[in-house]
Amino acid sequence: MIQFERFELDNGLKVIFHKDVSTPMAVVNVLYDVGARDESEEQTGFAHLFEHLMFGGSVNIPEFDSALQMAGGESNAFTSNDITNYYDVFPANNLDTALWLESDRMFSLAFTDKSLEVQRQVVIEEFKQRYLNQPYGDVWLLLRPLAYKKHPYKWATIGKEISHIENAKMEDIRSFFQRFYCPSNAIVCVAGNFELDYVKEKISYWFASIPSVKKPFRILPVEPIQSEFRELTVERKVPADAFYYAFKMSERKSEGYYVTDILSDAIGREKSSQLYITLKKEKQLVSEISAYITGSLDEGLLIISGKLNDGVSFERLDEALWDCLETIKNVELSELELDRLKIKIRTAKEFQEQGLLNRAMNLCFFELLGDANGVNEEQQIYQSISTKILHEFANEVLRKENCSLLKIKAEKNA
Amino acid sequence: MLDRKIAPKITDIEEIKFIYPQKMELSDLVPMYWMKEVPNATSRIDFYFDAGTVRGKSVLASLTAGLIFSGTKEKDSTTLHNLLDDSGAYFDVGLTQESALVSFYALNDQMLNIFRIFEDAFENGVFPQKEIDELVNDRKQKFLVNYEKVSFLAQREFQKQIFNGTPYSRLIELSDYDDVSRTEIIDFFNQFYKNGLMKVVVVGDLPQTTVDYIAGQSRKWCVQARPEFQSDFSNNIKTIKLEKKDAIQSAIRVGKTLFNKEHDDYLAFTILNTILGEFFGSRLMKNIREDKGYTYGIGSYLSEINKSGYFLIGTEVGSDVRDKALDEIKKEIELLQNELIIEDELELVKNYLLGQALKSADGPYAMMDLFLAVESHGMNLDFYNKFIHKIQTIKPQELLDLARKHLNWDSMTIITAG
Repeated sequence: MIQFERFELDNGLKVIFHKDVSTPMAVVNVLYDVGARDESEEQTGFAHLFEHLMFGGSVNIPEFDSALQMAGGESNAFTSNDITNYYDVFPANNLDTALWLESDRMFSLAFTDKSLEVQRQVVIEEFKQRYLNQPYGDVWLLLRPLAYKKHPYKWATIGKEISHIENAKMEDIRSFFQRFYCPSNAIVCVAGNFELDYVKEKISYWFASIPSVKKPFRILPVEPIQSEFRELTVERKVPADAFYYAFKMSERKSEGYYVTDILSDAIGREKSSQLYITLKKEKQLVSEISAYITGSLDEGLLIISGKLNDGVSFERLDEALWDCLETIKNVELSELELDRLKIKIRTAKEFQEQGLLNRAMNLCFFELLGDANGVNEEQQIYQSISTKILHEFANEVLRKENCSLLKIKAEKNA
Repeated sequence: MLDRKIAPKITDIEEIKFIYPQKMELSDLVPMYWMKEVPNATSRIDFYFDAGTVRGKSVLASLTAGLIFSGTKEKDSTTLHNLLDDSGAYFDVGLTQESALVSFYALNDQMLNIFRIFEDAFENGVFPQKEIDELVNDRKQKFLVNYEKVSFLAQREFQKQIFNGTPYSRLIELSDYDDVSRTEIIDFFNQFYKNGLMKVVVVGDLPQTTVDYIAGQSRKWCVQARPEFQSDFSNNIKTIKLEKKDAIQSAIRVGKTLFNKEHDDYLAFTILNTILGEFFGSRLMKNIREDKGYTYGIGSYLSEINKSGYFLIGTEVGSDVRDKALDEIKKEIELLQNELIIEDELELVKNYLLGQALKSADGPYAMMDLFLAVESHGMNLDFYNKFIHKIQTIKPQELLDLARKHLNWDSMTIITAG
C-alpha cells in the first residue's frame, strides 16, 4: 500500500505527496500530459525533441543539470506516445533546489538557438543509434503505420522521419511549450521524508505564482475498428527472419487492458508460456518468441514477436502460430496456470515498489488516469481476473482480422 | 518575495550510514552474507561460482551458464521452469570473465521452495543434448545479430587488445559454438559449479531456519582451493579501424589497462574520471554531446576485475564526425593534464559525488551491493569513509598530476568500428 496525500493549487497544478521516512533521498517527479500522440502528422518527434530542450536552461537558470548536480542530485526524463515525464533524485535536504528548477522551467523556458541546433543534432544521432544503425531497429517505424491508420500512434516517439527533426523551427517549439507546459497540464509528486505542511508550503512558494492557463483540450483522430488482416514484408540486412504479429487491444483505463496483459503473459512471457513451449520447445520453429503489450493509454497493441530458425519459412510459422492461438481460444487456462501468472505479477510489483522513484512515477501516472490511488487497486484487479474472462478476451483479441503482421526478411547474401 | 534568480541554499551531506550484513562461514574460503533488514516481503539470493569466461575454452562457460535449468532425469526444462514460475520467482544468470552469478528474486515465503527447485536442478542436471543443440542454435543467431552492431565490434576488439595474450582477451567466433561437446559441459559444470561456489548473498527478512537450511545445503558446492586470477596485464597500444560498410554511426573505444580499488590512486582517479566522463555534466558529455551534438551519449568508466582493471571511453557518433570526435576526446584528456580544474567545477563534482554516495547506500539492496564491491577486494565499508574524505579534501593539483600519470594519449588503445 502506497500512502499519499493530494492537493491542488489555484493555477490548476495537481500535487501528490508520498512520505517515506526510511530514506535520506527524495524525488520530485513532474508528469506533463503531452506525448507524441499530441503532435501533428507534419511535425512528428516534437514532444521528444522538446524534452531534450527542457534541459537547455530556463528563464532564470542558465543550466538545469549543473544546479541540481551542485545539490548532489541528478535528473532525467522520458517521452512516450502518451506522456512526458521528468524526474529529479537528490538528497532530501535540498528539496528547494529541485522545486526551484522544476518551477522555473514550467514558468518559462529560455533555450537558445544554439541549444536548439545542438539538441536537434543529438536527437538525430539518437534516431540513428536506436532506429537505423541496429539490426531490426526500424521495426516500430514500420509496424506503427501498419497497425494504426488514423490515430497518432501511427508514428513513433522519435518521429516519423529525420526531416521532421531537421525542420523544427523555434517558433513552433515556443508554441508547443505555451500550449502544453502549464500547471493545469502537469502532475507533480514529491516523495521523501517530509511533513505534509512543509511540502504544501514549499510547493506553493515555488509554483503558485505560475500563471494559470487552461488545460489544453485533446481531440485525437479516432482509429477505425480494424476489420481486415494486414501484412507487410520488408527485406533488410539482418541475420534471421523476424515476425511481429500486432493485435489491437483495449485502452488503458478499461478492465480489458488488465485481462489482455495477463493474456500476453500466458501466451508468451516466460519459458512456461504456451507459444514458447509449442513453437520453440516442441516444434523448434523459432529461436526466440515472446508476447507483450504496448501499455498505451488509447487502444494499444498486443505483440507476438520472434525470430525464425534457419530453414523455417514464414508460412510454416504462420500456420503453427494460428493453430496454437486456436487452441488458446478453444481451451480455458487451468486455475494452476492462471495462479502462476498472478504470483509473477505480484512479485514484480513488490520489487518495483521498493524504489522511491518508481513509486513517485506511478502515483503521477495513476493520477493522470484519474486517481493516484489506482496504484493500490491495480493488484486487486489483476488478482480477481478469472479463467473465464481471460478466455473471452483470448477470443476477442486473437482474431486474424484484428491483426497486423510485419515480416522482416533477411536479404540473401547479406 | 520570490526571486527566482537566487539559487536556494544547498545543505551539505554530513554523514552516511553504512550497515554491515551478517557474515557466516560456509567453509574456510566461502562466506555467506545476509542483510535481514528489509522493510517489505521481497528477497534476493545470489550464488557466486568460479565459472567465469576465463575458465574453460571459448564458449564453454557461456553455454554452461545457459543450461542450469535444462533438465534432470525426472524433470525436463519446461517442468523446471513451470515450477520456478509457480513460485513467482525471477531468476538470472550473470556471467563475467571471473564469475557466474545465479540470482533469484522472489517473495519471502517462496524462497525456501525456490532453493529446493534450484538444488534439485543443480544436483541432478543431466544436460540433455537436445537442450544443448537448442541453446547453441539460439546463441549463434544472437551472435550474428550482435555482429551487425558497431558497438559490439568495437568493444570486442577493445577487449582483445586490452587483455592482450591472456584468457581475458579471447574473442568468440561463430564456429566456437560448434566446438563444444556435452561431455565438456558436464565436466565444466562439475568442476566450476558443483565444486566452485565462492560466495552466497542473501537480502531479505527470511526466517532463520530458511537461511540456515540454504547455508547447510550449499556447503557441498564450496570451492576447495582459493580461485586464482591473472594479475599481470598490459594493453596493446595501437589504433585499429574496423570497417563496416553502410554503417551510419561509428563506435569508438579508447582506453588502457589500469587498476582496481586496491591501488593507492583509485579514489582520486574515481573523482578524475567523474570530471572527465562519468556523469551527465562531465566534460565529455558537455563537449561532444551538449556542445557539438556528435552523439546521443558518451561516457568514461573504470572497470574492475579481481587483480586489475581498465579505463575506457565509449561512444557512438555519426560516421562523418568520427575523426572530429576522436580529436575532441584527445583534447579533453590533454586539458585535464595541462590545466588545473577551476574551483566551481570541482565543487560541483564533489557535491554530485557525495549525493551519489548517499544514494548508493540507500536501502538494503543498495547497501549490500556497496558492501560486495569492497568485500571482493578484501576490504570493508571503511573504504567509503575514506572515499568521502578524499572527495572533501582533494585539490586541483592532485587531479592534474594524476591525469599526467595515468591518461597519456600515447598509452591508449584506440578502436573505431563503422
